[in-house]
Amino acid sequence: MRIAAAPGSRAEDRAEDRAPPPAPNYGIDSDRLLDRDSLPAALRRRWDGRYAVDEFGGDPHLQDFLLAPVVGRLPVRTVGAEHLPASGGALLVANLGVGLLEPLLVAGAVQRAVDRRLRLVGLPTLPGLGALTHKLGGIGRRAGDVAAVLRAGHLAAVPLGRTLSPRAAGEAPRLVIGATLGFPVLPVAVRPSGPVGLPAGGWVVAVGPLCRPPEGTATDDPLAAAELAEEVRRAVAAMLRGGGGDP
Amino acid sequence: MRVLVTGMGGHLGTRVAQLLEIRDDVEAVAGFDLVPPRRRLGRSVFKRIDPRDRDRLVEFVRDFAPTAVAHFGVYEPAARMGIRAARVASEECTVTALGAAARAGALECVAVRSGIEVYGRGGRRPEVPDEHAPLGPTTPYGRTCLDVEAHAAGLARRHDVPVASLRFAPISGSRAPSPIGRLLRLPAVPVPALADPPFQLLHTDDAARAMVAALDRRAQGPFNVVGPGAASPWQAVRLGGRVPVPVAGPGWLVANRIAELAGSPVPPHVLELVRRGRVADGGRAVDELGLVGLVPTQEVLADLFAWASVTPLPGAGRPAVVATPGSS
Repeated sequence: MRIAAAPGSRAEDRAEDRAPPPAPNYGIDSDRLLDRDSLPAALRRRWDGRYAVDEFGGDPHLQDFLLAPVVGRLPVRTVGAEHLPASGGALLVANLGVGLLEPLLVAGAVQRAVDRRLRLVGLPTLPGLGALTHKLGGIGRRAGDVAAVLRAGHLAAVPLGRTLSPRAAGEAPRLVIGATLGFPVLPVAVRPSGPVGLPAGGWVVAVGPLCRPPEGTATDDPLAAAELAEEVRRAVAAMLRGGGGDP
Repeated sequence: MRVLVTGMGGHLGTRVAQLLEIRDDVEAVAGFDLVPPRRRLGRSVFKRIDPRDRDRLVEFVRDFAPTAVAHFGVYEPAARMGIRAARVASEECTVTALGAAARAGALECVAVRSGIEVYGRGGRRPEVPDEHAPLGPTTPYGRTCLDVEAHAAGLARRHDVPVASLRFAPISGSRAPSPIGRLLRLPAVPVPALADPPFQLLHTDDAARAMVAALDRRAQGPFNVVGPGAASPWQAVRLGGRVPVPVAGPGWLVANRIAELAGSPVPPHVLELVRRGRVADGGRAVDELGLVGLVPTQEVLADLFAWASVTPLPGAGRPAVVATPGSS
């Protein structure tokens, strides 16, 4: 398969073509955030087993109930939200500092901008906690698993290599980008908005424009994948250097 | 098309024969199995042959000279027979029937039953494998499926016949005996205490439909056929109104024994499904076999639980037929 010349069209078409017909999962959409049930209604639903489970182990009902209110309250300002796709699979590549907060901040930004859930790649796997992180949207860190999530039409966020400085962009996830060649890739920079790297006024999540491999690239071209990975890393680094304000 | 349906006595084989015999472009349908079909068949010819009885089987297949083979003679352990018997029967049926069909000289296409058990679970394996994922079965049934695929691939090479391997998700639904169906229909069901892995099921009719589509299109290569969406043990058990019993570690040995005594033997591939999940990416089959409108996993479950174990006859004041959960 080759990547078409038209901007993003082929990749997005493919993602939407491949999106499975919506399963009647008790009215629960596994991609789009829904209104929360009231507490008794939610408990009743859990008790009756009438909630959706998706093939990646995700539990959209639990995500809406536990995760969405938390990440929705994080102090995040989103820049470039218009780049986020309203439907179809896409890969967000975000920087990762010392903590665990960056992926949650990206999830918060996505939730506010397009009302979609975000699949997080590479959450720490602790014994006994794996089931919970999977339910809340975590997925395995193998490249094939991320590709399967995108084929199913979900948004996935994969981190750059971990760095000590909140203003540095780590190594790009080449294997993941190689396995998902053909899907839209968006660079995302997460940085504290206050002076000297302090999150005084919350965080800024900057979403850059789509990065794409050159026209006519085969979807299994490792060199194109490496180049795209580098391009994404540079884009994230540039947005991080952009300073406290807008990029 | 002259179609040989191996394993015609099973629910799936009978269903495929029913789908084939109503079509005008199918000249003849013949099949064999250890057990006779339990549903009405029209013009299909059934012969009761034990796959281990090679001479009779070869003679039957040679005389029929099929142009297409729907190979359902791949027996899931604990559906109708034990683990070892299922492996032997599957192997004999595959080698003898496919070999004889190829030597009869008219063969044009083959579709074999396999399962997403061939991918195995755990270790470095992908969580949602597609058809390119490495094969590393971790259960006896997975290894049987892998052997069947290998035999069929060898046949494809030697005789230049397109062979489709249909890797089905665990097939379940009402009226078809399946070990996962029996387990989920117990009044109390063991579930993993510290995990809740996703699994997918496939409706019996969809499995039959996929087989017919694969023969129709002369499909080649592996196809994952799964019911869209997924379920998890805790959710499935509560959906059925059963009692989930959290089990961990060596507790599974005990749970396994109790389930067996309660009428639901739990073979290793079902135990693995409950403890580690069983999912695959079914995109290729939907695109290339045109399998739109597959029954979602949640509906397969609902169908399974809606299947009454006590069937009141009309007019009778009390239940007339009492069946144990999961028996057919």
